[in-house]
Amino acid sequence: MTDPRLFRLRATFVEEGRLAMLSHLEVAHTLERVVRRAKLPFAISQGFSPHMKIAFGAALPVGVGSTCEIFDLQLTEYVAPAKALAALQAASVPELMVQECHYIEHNATAASVAFPFSTYEVVFDRAIESIEAPETVTVVRKRKEKTLVVGEFLVKPFELEGNKAVFTLEAKPTGSLRPDLLLAHCVFDGEVVSITRVAQSEMC
Amino acid sequence: MVPFESIWPQVAPLVAKAERPSRYINHEWGSVYKPEAGFRFCMVYPDTYELGQANQALRILVNAVNAHDGMVAERGFLPAPDMCDALRREGLPLFSIESCAPLGAFDVIGITLPHELAATNVLEALDLAGLPLHAVDRAEDDPLVVAGGPCALNPEPYAPFFDAINIGEGEESLPEGLEVIRTQRARGASRREIWRALAALDGWYVPSLYRWREADEAQEAGSWIEPLEEGLPTFIEKQVFRGFAESPAWEPCIVPFTEAVHDRLNVEILRGCARGCRFCQAGMMYRPVRERTADNIVASVLEGLAETGYDEVSLTSLSSTDHSQISEILTRLNRECAGKGVRISIPSQRLDSFGVDMAGLVAGQKKGGLTFAPEAGTQRLRDVINKNVTEDDLFGAIDAAFAAGWHRCKLYFMIGLPTETDDDIKGIARLVQQAYDHARAVVPPDQKGSIQISASCALFVPKAQTPFQWDGQIPPEEALRRVNLLRHSVKYRAITINWHDPKTSFVEAVMSRGGREAAALVEEAWRHGARFDAWTECFNEQAWRDAIDVLSFDVEAAAQTAYPTDYVLPWDHIGCGATTRWLARERALADEGITTPDCTFERCSGCGTCMRLGVDNQLAQPRVLGGARND
Repeated sequence: MTDPRLFRLRATFVEEGRLAMLSHLEVAHTLERVVRRAKLPFAISQGFSPHMKIAFGAALPVGVGSTCEIFDLQLTEYVAPAKALAALQAASVPELMVQECHYIEHNATAASVAFPFSTYEVVFDRAIESIEAPETVTVVRKRKEKTLVVGEFLVKPFELEGNKAVFTLEAKPTGSLRPDLLLAHCVFDGEVVSITRVAQSEMC
Repeated sequence: MVPFESIWPQVAPLVAKAERPSRYINHEWGSVYKPEAGFRFCMVYPDTYELGQANQALRILVNAVNAHDGMVAERGFLPAPDMCDALRREGLPLFSIESCAPLGAFDVIGITLPHELAATNVLEALDLAGLPLHAVDRAEDDPLVVAGGPCALNPEPYAPFFDAINIGEGEESLPEGLEVIRTQRARGASRREIWRALAALDGWYVPSLYRWREADEAQEAGSWIEPLEEGLPTFIEKQVFRGFAESPAWEPCIVPFTEAVHDRLNVEILRGCARGCRFCQAGMMYRPVRERTADNIVASVLEGLAETGYDEVSLTSLSSTDHSQISEILTRLNRECAGKGVRISIPSQRLDSFGVDMAGLVAGQKKGGLTFAPEAGTQRLRDVINKNVTEDDLFGAIDAAFAAGWHRCKLYFMIGLPTETDDDIKGIARLVQQAYDHARAVVPPDQKGSIQISASCALFVPKAQTPFQWDGQIPPEEALRRVNLLRHSVKYRAITINWHDPKTSFVEAVMSRGGREAAALVEEAWRHGARFDAWTECFNEQAWRDAIDVLSFDVEAAAQTAYPTDYVLPWDHIGCGATTRWLARERALADEGITTPDCTFERCSGCGTCMRLGVDNQLAQPRVLGGARND
């Protein structure tokens, strides 16, 4: 729940080309600076360490690109979405470009949890006949090994078409499976050229 | 000649696997891409992106060169160790950031020499670029490799590696040098002809055109260098950017993706410091003092914040609280930035100008740690080094800061200063404990536990072009004994004592005071695996030891020998403005414990800079002793 007196702007942006190699924190820093450069009337938190009221969607792993990233920004004044978009675009670098923005309800679910289903498109260096996902993937988190059951996360299996494949992963409150990690454990004949998040949705 | 083309397709897979890919990917806000320019310069910082991108020289010089028609300046950084190894493994060269082009394809490569521990990184960069390490071994169509920066004030430990070295401020001098190279290249001049043309230019030193003398011969001749040809200068004076004060304080900058050091808007509000601390090279190097006006600074900060989107601005200089209009600047900026979540900071605070008013003005909303540098523990030694601050200045600053809400304070000291005794070391302990008592007295009772006061001790490194250039460094074992004496003298458990590893400070002293023979040591150390010496976790002591064993060079003598002030030093052919006679007089006054006033507050001390360079201090308004008043 956010302050109902503030205007809550939701923006989507792409992360492509070389900039897919940015970390979540680097993207967050960059976007705060984009908002400042765009001179939007952003809200500032009160307290000991004032900061911009901006929130980001689910983190994207380093090396994975996206056509549909999200951030929510709270504004103290209404700015027409088209105007806000133009200002944000003028302040952005081409490969981290804001694409669209609109206002959302002050009590709308945060972008980081509102869209648990992410669809990824993977491009291979050649046409792929088949791809086989493992039953489990073991990950190391905070020096502890954790075994993830792939079936619990991979809610839509791989759809192959030529040198491309599409699949959907669900993020759980208890954790999620990284798309790049899943692919590293899959069996197929070829090399991954790129992975891109192409959709984030509320439902599968 | 290496073709000028992007090697990104080959580099990209390595970047994807590298630690922090964002160091290598370019495309940051503000980066300038001029593929059409016919003459290409690559400005290299001999350390990683995070350190280099923050470097002021890099930013200023890239802008200065890009401002010239037909010239482009791209940035280059030494990749982190993992990426250096990956490039070597794949047979790929060091590349520029903007075009991702091999360094060997540029017309000129410039490497800044920021500190003494970057020397092996210079060789690492040249080797990764695929260039011969020695200027004399480079082919006619290899890039010219030039240097500049603080360490150019004693260029000899770097002499064989560079075609030419630019002494002093490069805003005008670097483009001038590049213009000469461009003209000479266009008429098909040989490398040697280009050297000669550069040597004829003010502020450019071409080491390969001089023979290095033996010690006795040098003392006899009054100089260590002997020209190999007619008509070469035997004294090279630093260059000063005369337009500094009038030039806009907004210096367009690149906004990095990754968190660089000093990742904020840096606005240089003044250049130079005439306080005259006798150990300080920067204080000698950047004379005269030149202030930009409050109007210039305030407008520049606002423009810079709007252009970059930064939420922090630092008003930089060697001693920002000395600016004659600092109160006005801070008051106006605090007013302009109110409610925008922008933090205004000052990198270094002088003890004698930090009072209640200043504490209020730089308080802002966030209160990080404050740093003060008393440098020595007793008034006697502070007088020797001409650090004109008193215990009362320190306690006054502590009172003001802790009363204004700060809880952390770091105090900088040096160990091994000329004339230092054990009493001076114990004096550090006493001073820090008294500072702690002062802090406790002004902080509310329930917050006393959060007071943090620490003392950081650096080992004194004698620097070229300072009054202490003739002094030796104390041996590392003695340094550790004094550190231990200090640690045992501090009785308060709440006070932390930090100190630098004396072994790295020893290498700094060798590089700071060595002659041309030190270059062989650097090369040997690099061949034994030394690189990233400034990184504690990378400092390879064994590599330096092995190098010392191979060579007959007496490193202890280079670091530790004290000379009389009539001894001819290996950098006496380089001028930084102040005369050797004045430096010697300052050295004599140090022994007597007599201080010399700052000429921006009081009378001229006769250092000679203004006379020799035809310049003057430029103050925005008269300076007032006792620091800023908030009126």
